[in-house]
Amino acid sequence: MKISGSYTIRAGRDAVFARLTDPQAIASCLPGVEDLNQVAPDQYEMAMTVAIGPVKGTFTGKVQLADINPPESYRMAIEGQGKPGFARGNGIVQLRAIDDQTTEIVYEGDVELGGPFAGVAQRMLGGVAKRMIEQFFSCIERQMGASA
Amino acid sequence: MAVTKLFGAAIKRREDPRLITGRGNFTDHIRLPGTLVMAIKRSPHAHARIVRIDTSKARAMRGVVAVYTGQDLVDKLAPVPCAWLIPDSDLKLTPYRAVAVDKVRYVGDAVAVVVAEDRYVAQDAVEAIDVEYEVLPAVVDQEKAMEPGAPQLYDEIPNNLAFHWKLHVGDFDAVWNEAEVRLSRRLINHRLIPTAMEPRGALAAYNPGSGELTIWCTSQNPHVHRLLLSAVTGLPETRIRVIATDVGGGFGSKIPMYAGEMIAAAISRDLGRPIKWIETRQENYVATIHGRDHIQYVDIAARRDGTITGVRVRAYANMGAYLSTAAPGVPTWLFGLMLQGAYAIPVIHCDVYGVLTNTTPTDAYRGAGRPEATYLLERMIDILARELGMDPAEIRRKNFIPKDRFPYTTPTGLQYDSGDYEATLNRALELVDYANLRRQQAELRQQGRYIGIGFSTYVEVCGLAPSQAAGAMGFQGGLWESATVRVHPTGKVTVFTGSNPHGQGEETTFAQLVADELGVPFEDVEIIHGDTEMVPFGMGTYGSRSTAVGGAALVAACRKVKEKAQRIAAHLLEVSPEDLAFENGRFFVKGAPDRGMTFQEVALQAYLAWKLPRDIEPGLEATHFWDPVNNTFPFGCHICVVEVDPETGKVDFLKYVAVDDVGNVINPMIVDGQVHGGIAQGLAQAVYEYAAYDANGQLLSASLMDYAIPKASMLPSFTVDRTVTPTPVNPMGVKGAGETGTIASTPAVVNAVIDALAPFGIEHIDMPLTPERIWRAVRERSS
Repeated sequence: MKISGSYTIRAGRDAVFARLTDPQAIASCLPGVEDLNQVAPDQYEMAMTVAIGPVKGTFTGKVQLADINPPESYRMAIEGQGKPGFARGNGIVQLRAIDDQTTEIVYEGDVELGGPFAGVAQRMLGGVAKRMIEQFFSCIERQMGASA
Repeated sequence: MAVTKLFGAAIKRREDPRLITGRGNFTDHIRLPGTLVMAIKRSPHAHARIVRIDTSKARAMRGVVAVYTGQDLVDKLAPVPCAWLIPDSDLKLTPYRAVAVDKVRYVGDAVAVVVAEDRYVAQDAVEAIDVEYEVLPAVVDQEKAMEPGAPQLYDEIPNNLAFHWKLHVGDFDAVWNEAEVRLSRRLINHRLIPTAMEPRGALAAYNPGSGELTIWCTSQNPHVHRLLLSAVTGLPETRIRVIATDVGGGFGSKIPMYAGEMIAAAISRDLGRPIKWIETRQENYVATIHGRDHIQYVDIAARRDGTITGVRVRAYANMGAYLSTAAPGVPTWLFGLMLQGAYAIPVIHCDVYGVLTNTTPTDAYRGAGRPEATYLLERMIDILARELGMDPAEIRRKNFIPKDRFPYTTPTGLQYDSGDYEATLNRALELVDYANLRRQQAELRQQGRYIGIGFSTYVEVCGLAPSQAAGAMGFQGGLWESATVRVHPTGKVTVFTGSNPHGQGEETTFAQLVADELGVPFEDVEIIHGDTEMVPFGMGTYGSRSTAVGGAALVAACRKVKEKAQRIAAHLLEVSPEDLAFENGRFFVKGAPDRGMTFQEVALQAYLAWKLPRDIEPGLEATHFWDPVNNTFPFGCHICVVEVDPETGKVDFLKYVAVDDVGNVINPMIVDGQVHGGIAQGLAQAVYEYAAYDANGQLLSASLMDYAIPKASMLPSFTVDRTVTPTPVNPMGVKGAGETGTIASTPAVVNAVIDALAPFGIEHIDMPLTPERIWRAVRERSS
């Protein structure tokens, strides 16, 4: 399933980029993340609880950042397995400076579900994924507001 | 004591009070001490190699007794059998392990099994099993699966082609070349999920002392399951007892031999403990068979006057990842033989490709093959009618096999037993008030409202027979049925039937038959079914066969009993048997009605045996194995009237008229119920239900939230009527009634919607006709 959208943060592009690729920020802002450990440069292991409709479960998997091109863009691949099945996501995040203090984040990606998760949750996936992404960015924005 | 005739009486189903007050006895209700619970770990991938299975975490869990992988069961279970070996089709059997050994081939394929003290632990342990997969590309669509370079499910089955079945009667090329009208279309008969209210399950109890296996399971055909369980476990069938108590619906999905029941049997034998396995609804969606899933290329040759001169079909049947028990017979014999439908079409040319894909296996689902044939014909005849500017009712009338041609031998070799197709059409036209309706349609169109009238004039084949034909078709079984009628000393009667009703109401209709035959009160007749230790070998309930075949066996057994009773009565009354008449449950001397004995008095004497003639054995019971000489062919006309909102694509049902002819009717209330349920299911295929896979082989409609089983509010009221054309095939003159509704309704509904959309130039939309699909079709045409 294709997912895309954009989010605007009131902060400069360099700062936003640094924050988005900071494992601590990811761990604290991505909803449901219980554990995030760096296992290699730009590669992390993660445990995350996700609920989509009636299906809820903990996924363990990997997050890989690639093609890091500060402060403009990076790729992110997430792969998780858990009780309700598996999830795979792959996407590109691009940052555009609207002005010195405003950055637009444009994201585009593909999410794939498997197992029972796919059977009951697929039709709600788009909405849930979008909400999680928005929560992530708004949390990043809040943190940046707090630290600024 | 006057006993009224019960044949034809609308008696309420005697099984209902227990079923609707929660007193039914389903497989999951059976409790045995010491039972362990089994749960199955299923593949989340449609196609993958199993690299490694780590069961250590699951094994270490408190309450877990054992964990099995496919490898652990290889020596304990033969592969899941396929029992319809269609000849002359280059059939390639799929090695189908109950638990996958090296590769999984569909989402839901079993990879490991947990046995635990309770269900919660079992489920948690299933989730604690860690399976590493090497994911392979998957293929879901049967046409794509045959293309070069498509993912291959089996190394030994090239192009995923399990079989290519042919039925060529007459010279189609010649009629095609001569045809005044030629139509070619591609139709999709999409995939459905049977969704019986009770999921499948089993309680297997192996007794290590006696070496006997008793298995309660959700079965439409317990003796067939006993035979197949014997084949896969190696236990002789004399040591296996299969019991299907109440079964909560099947629609064909409880015919096959499945992995779950086999595994429960093998593990019970391995551990010496009773093993219960009840599938979850989600498992039911992925691991119980699906139905339909045909892609059809149809060519129709016709004359300008509407006469159809030939039909050519090339069908791609999606068999799923493995060949299920009866699967190869469904899209071939049960489909191809019926391609002339109710029409005198002389030339039939049919090629069916059975294709393996990374999806749940398909098999017989209510109608099984006949809906696919009927939909194709009824859709094409409507398209032809529009092409020729003919009325859809008249083009059907033009092509009907006339009533004076019965018995009618079809080009495909069937013998239609009896029929009067035009009578059902006429009656339905009258009930729906056709002329007025067409006028109304024209008027409403002026106001921008779109109503449509859809026809389906079907004929279907029921009570599949005879056994010889089964042999010729490669079906590894007979098509007869058994019944034992045991009269007790008090004159009460127990019937043991090889049929296995699971919603069809035979505990009622069979008792009606016996009460009439033996002149005993309805209440005095008990119907026993479903237990292989009690009932004689029987074929079970499927294909609308139970009344036409099982009922016929029962009547024949009753007549043997009555003949013996008459001889005993004659002896006691000191007359010859021919001098006796039998009425209202009493034998009496013709011309001297005072001299007589009731059936109950005779029964007692049969057991006392004080004064029996030397050549008559004591007791009063008989068994009959009935092998019918032919199938029965119910038929009818369904008319659906809808209004379609082109702005939203929504379909409203205005009227639904069904005039069926199922021969004589034992219990009209039960037949009405069958027809109602059948229409609901077929209508649901037309507009609601859809088993959708994504391109990776994930089933997207794997719950009752996502698979649109209709609620009562989503259905119209049905006007149901009947004509009666008895069959000569059985003594009661009854045909099958279980599948007519499903077969007839789907094309009637689609034809109605397409008729409504005629002003937009829309000639076809593939099912299900959801608002979105209709809306898109209207938009496409309007732009």
